[in-house]
Amino acid sequence: MELQLESESNGDGCVQLRVCGDVTIHTSSKLREKLKPLLAPDAREVRVLLDDVEFMDSSGIATLVEGLQWSRTSGGRFILAGLHENVRDVLELAKLDTVFDIEENNG
Amino acid sequence: MTNHREDVSHVEKISCQLNCQTQCVDFLRSMVAVMAERTGMDPCHTNRIALAVDEVFANIAEHGYGGEPGPIECETHIRCNGNGLRELVFDFRDFATSGWVYEECHVPQSDLNMDCISPGGLGLRLIAEVADSFKQEILPDGNRWHLVFSLDKGVQSGTAARI
Repeated sequence: MELQLESESNGDGCVQLRVCGDVTIHTSSKLREKLKPLLAPDAREVRVLLDDVEFMDSSGIATLVEGLQWSRTSGGRFILAGLHENVRDVLELAKLDTVFDIEENNG
Repeated sequence: MTNHREDVSHVEKISCQLNCQTQCVDFLRSMVAVMAERTGMDPCHTNRIALAVDEVFANIAEHGYGGEPGPIECETHIRCNGNGLRELVFDFRDFATSGWVYEECHVPQSDLNMDCISPGGLGLRLIAEVADSFKQEILPDGNRWHLVFSLDKGVQSGTAARI
């Protein structure tokens, strides 16, 4: 499935990146290219919406870790939202579920 | 009318040859899905096996062939081990003569250093978490990768699994 990415800024240093499709070794570079500029020193919050991602491998997780590292150095918030149970399970397997700032799904 | 569920349940073995540069995740997931259907595996376990299979494929493509085109043969089947327990087996064969040598001691352990997480290291760790056995056989013209998953922990209750 082709990876689709759409970012939206509220003009207050907060950005949301919506990801749609599988994040694998073949598509994670596209996610990285889109995410990297959003992790600016003056950004306050980057929210990655993953409710349309049913499969993510280690290359996708490693890309998200870059966001985590940014949040630790810049003081900004890096949030993962709308996690599909498959993606949450991969984060748990990698023992990263307690490290990321994960927004719980409603309902 | 043909019952699709019945059809896939009778698949004994699936073999294929893939190009490592191709986006094969959908195909590999289909292979896993067919075997999962046959064994009554739950969705969580099915996704985990798809993940491990994807990681092996990605590691061969990246470290075996260095991102260049190359053939990867893949075969999956279900077997009974010596204790009568059912296992799902995935065998990969590459023809890469340099690169990746897998050793269990190289799998990163539980305490992650956030500064050095790499797709390769993390991928091996995920494989080690999910697979019951993961072995490499170095051949004169490449490698064979042998992945084994126990089926006892992911079969939905009330589902009669078949071999």
